[in-house]
Parts: sequence; C-alpha cells; structure tokens
Amino acid sequence: MINLKHVFKYYNPAVPVLADINLAIEAGEFISLVGQSGAGKTTLVKILTGEERVSSGQIIIGDWDITDISRREVPHLRRQIGVIFQDFKLLPKKTLWENVAFALEVCGQPQDKIDRVVSSVMRIVGLEDKRDRYPNEVSGGEQQRAAIARALIHQPKILLADEPTGNLDSINANEIIELLQRINNFGTTVILVTHNREVVNRLKKRVVTIENGVITSDQKQGKYII
Amino acid sequence: MTKSKVNILFNMTSFWRILKFSFQDISRNVWLTIATITILVLALFSVNILLTVQVLSQNAVEAVKGKVNLSLYLRPESSEAEILDLKTKLEAMPEVKTVKYISKNQALDSFRERNQNNPEILSALRELGKNPLSPSLVINPKDSDQAPALIEQIKKNNNPIIESRDFTDNALLLEKINQITKKVNEVGLFIIAIFILTSVLVAYNSIKVAIYTHRQEVEIMRLVGASNRFIYQPFLFSAVFYALAATIIGVALFFPFLSLLQPYLEVFFLDYQFNVVHYFVSHFILIFGLQFLAMALINILASSLAIRRYAKV
Repeated sequence: MINLKHVFKYYNPAVPVLADINLAIEAGEFISLVGQSGAGKTTLVKILTGEERVSSGQIIIGDWDITDISRREVPHLRRQIGVIFQDFKLLPKKTLWENVAFALEVCGQPQDKIDRVVSSVMRIVGLEDKRDRYPNEVSGGEQQRAAIARALIHQPKILLADEPTGNLDSINANEIIELLQRINNFGTTVILVTHNREVVNRLKKRVVTIENGVITSDQKQGKYII
Repeated sequence: MTKSKVNILFNMTSFWRILKFSFQDISRNVWLTIATITILVLALFSVNILLTVQVLSQNAVEAVKGKVNLSLYLRPESSEAEILDLKTKLEAMPEVKTVKYISKNQALDSFRERNQNNPEILSALRELGKNPLSPSLVINPKDSDQAPALIEQIKKNNNPIIESRDFTDNALLLEKINQITKKVNEVGLFIIAIFILTSVLVAYNSIKVAIYTHRQEVEIMRLVGASNRFIYQPFLFSAVFYALAATIIGVALFFPFLSLLQPYLEVFFLDYQFNVVHYFVSHFILIFGLQFLAMALINILASSLAIRRYAKV
C-alpha cells in the first residue's frame, strides 16, 4: 500500500530531518508512528500528503509514485488520503456539515451525492445532531470527530492521523482512538502519529519508532519504548 | 450523457459553488467586509471629490473665457445694411463663435440702465438731445487660444464703417486665462494622479489584509484537496464584489454631497449654465463605470498577489 525507500529529507544540508527511511505499510494495517517532538514524524506526514518533497529516495502509494508529484496533482493525492490533525483544521466560518461537505464540493460532486455521503459520515462519527453548529460551538472531541468525518468523505484507503488526541482530554481521546479502530476495521489503513504512550500501548498494533530522523524500531505488536 | 455535457455540468456546478463560497465568506466575515468596503468607498470618494474640483475649475475657466469678447465700434452714420454685411463676414470667420450686433438705441438703453442711479450722467445725456453712442459688434471667439490670431485678422479689416477697435485689454486677459487654465490642468492632473496612486495603494493594502486573515483557511482548503481554482476564485469574486459594493455605496453618498454643493455653485456660476449634478449624471457610465473597472482590477491584482504570497497557492 505505502512504500518508502531510502527516503532522505534535508532542510539544512548538514542535518537530515529524515535519514534513510525504509518503511512498507500493508493495506488495512493500523500503525502507530511514535517519537519525541522533532523526531521527524510530522515531516513524514507532510511528505505523504505532498506538502513536502523528499530530498532523495522514493515514495509509492498504491501504484502511484509520488516522489516527484507536481503541484497540480497534489489535490488529487489529498482526495485519496484522509488526514486529521491535532488542531482539527476546520474552517471556522463553516458549520460542521459545511466543513465536511466542502471536501466533496471542491471535487465537483453532485449535490445529491454530497447530501447522502455527508449524512452517512456524520452518522458514523456521531455528529448528525450537531451538523449546523460552527466549530467554536462544539467541544474539542466533536471538532476532531468532524475532522475525521471530513477525512473519510472520499472513502480513502489511507487515513493519516497526526497527533489527533494532542488537544483532547482522556475521555475524548479514547473516543477518537476507538473511532479510528472502527474505521480500520472497515479496511482503511490507519497511520497514527502520536507520542501518547498510553494510547499506543493499549492498541497493541504495529509500532514504528523514529528518533532523530531514523527508524529505530519496528514491532508487529509493539509498545511505546522511548 | 456525453463527455462534453458532463464537463459543462461540472463547470456550472463548480461556478455556482465558487459563487456560494464567495458570498458565504463575505456574509460570515461581516466586519472584515465592512472595513474593506469602507476603505474602498473612502478611496473612491476622495478621487471623486478631486474630480469635482477639476471639473469645477475647468468650467470656471470656461465661464470666464465665455465672457471674453472683442468689440468693434462702428461709425454712427453706418447703414443697417453695411453693419449686417460686416456682421455676416465676421461670422463666416472660422475663429468666430458669435457676433452680436448692438444698435445705437440698444447701446443707449444699456447705458441708461447702467447709469440709472447716476442722475448727473442721465441729465447730461438729456442735454445733448441726441444719441451720442455708436453701434457696435461684439465678437465672441470660439476658443480663447485663437483670440490673438483673430485680433490680428480683425486689425487688418479696413472696412470704412469701423470707427475703433477695443481688444488690447482682452488680449492680455486672454493670455492670463490661458496661463491659468494650463496651470489648473497641470496641477489638477498632478494632484489627481497622487490621489489615485494613494487610493490604489490603500485599496491594494486593504485587500491584502483581507486575504492575510484568510491564510489559515486557505491552508485547510489545500489540505482537503481543493484545487487552486476553488481556492483562488472565491477571493476573486469577493474582490469584484467589494469593488461593486464600494462603487454603489460611493455613488449613493456622492450624489447627496453634490446636491448640497450645487446651490453654492449656482451663485458662483452666475450667468453661466453649469450644474455639477447634471454633469455627473450625464457622464455616469464613463466616470463610475471606469471607477468600478479600475477598482475591480486593482482588487483582483491585490488578491492574486496576496494569495500567492500568503497562501502559497
């Protein structure tokens, strides 16, 4: 599903942010990418979403080599990978429904399909009764659920979650992780980037540890070991 | 459905959505919209005030020019036929706008009227027992620039019925008026250019600020896979909307201002038909249409540059 081969990324020629990253992720896997702040996790997420380019190496998603992806192709890539962030990244002047629908509207999908699909994902994330609220009118957990709904709207094969529980209390964090597990059970590959030890240890799924831009550990049913 | 029909449907849907996003953004960022439009209205208003000053100064000069005339005093014994023949010849000259014939009797009536409060002059006139005034032809030049050439030609006219010519002072006056007109135009254009440049910079900056406040939203749009078109175009529509709203509000504020000004101008432009409100009404499309187009272009340019700079589209 995802193949990273000898990936290097430099911002400063003397210090690589990512150094010789080799990682293969199978379809339907739930993988936790862990590491301390500055380890290179977010850079990896940015490379997978086409926001950053690698300095060298190769990245293949499905059958698509995105190593030298053009700016024009980036929107198409982002419609195939769902992404959620620590700060939710919802449009503040759009309601939760509009935020989710927006991702389909910008692809030119017909309105009847948008209504149907948005209703469905809002139900999956449990927000059907808060559809007309603006992001600042709901809790952090609900905002993150709306962000997940938006990430799911294209029925992506991959869901990238970059510190999704970082701004949430433990109850909301658990709800979000349960939701991600449910999404994974439907067959979506989930890449969870986190430094939440408790969450990683409870999942008992594959754990890849990055330290100073290098993969230091890759365990099938791993634990947070830093 | 054929591929071309699908494409048309897709483009129509995209167009309406881009319009919807634009108007949602305008209505949900009310204060930003109000602030941006207010700045644009003030910029347009200042340009319009300066334009009014320029129009008024030009018309004031025209009004003075219209009062400039050259007088030919004719021999009292000249026959009506001779005078009218000279009048026709003068009217045929390309530099001449009008020639007014003032008969002896008309000159006398006018003299009496002018001196109606001066009993000594009126009494002296009665003692004379006859009309001492000469008939005259008052020549109004088409263009004050051509007046010196016209004076030269009239000087060469040796028609025996001409008794005297009075245009030495006029030549000097005309030269002064032409100098003033030239200066007014130069200074006016310079000030208008500065005002327009200032207004352009103010408008440009306010649009840039409006886009700067949206940079996080643009980032999110890109993250959910919005193409550049979906990011760019709502801002461009908003830019055109700001220009349209500013022009309409500007017009709505400017005409009452002109109506308040007009009574004062009527006193100033006595004997000269000039109505500043009518001027702006008769040039409405040209003045405000151009202002809208210029403002829309500035806004679109500012939006495009700001999006590239702040949103890295």
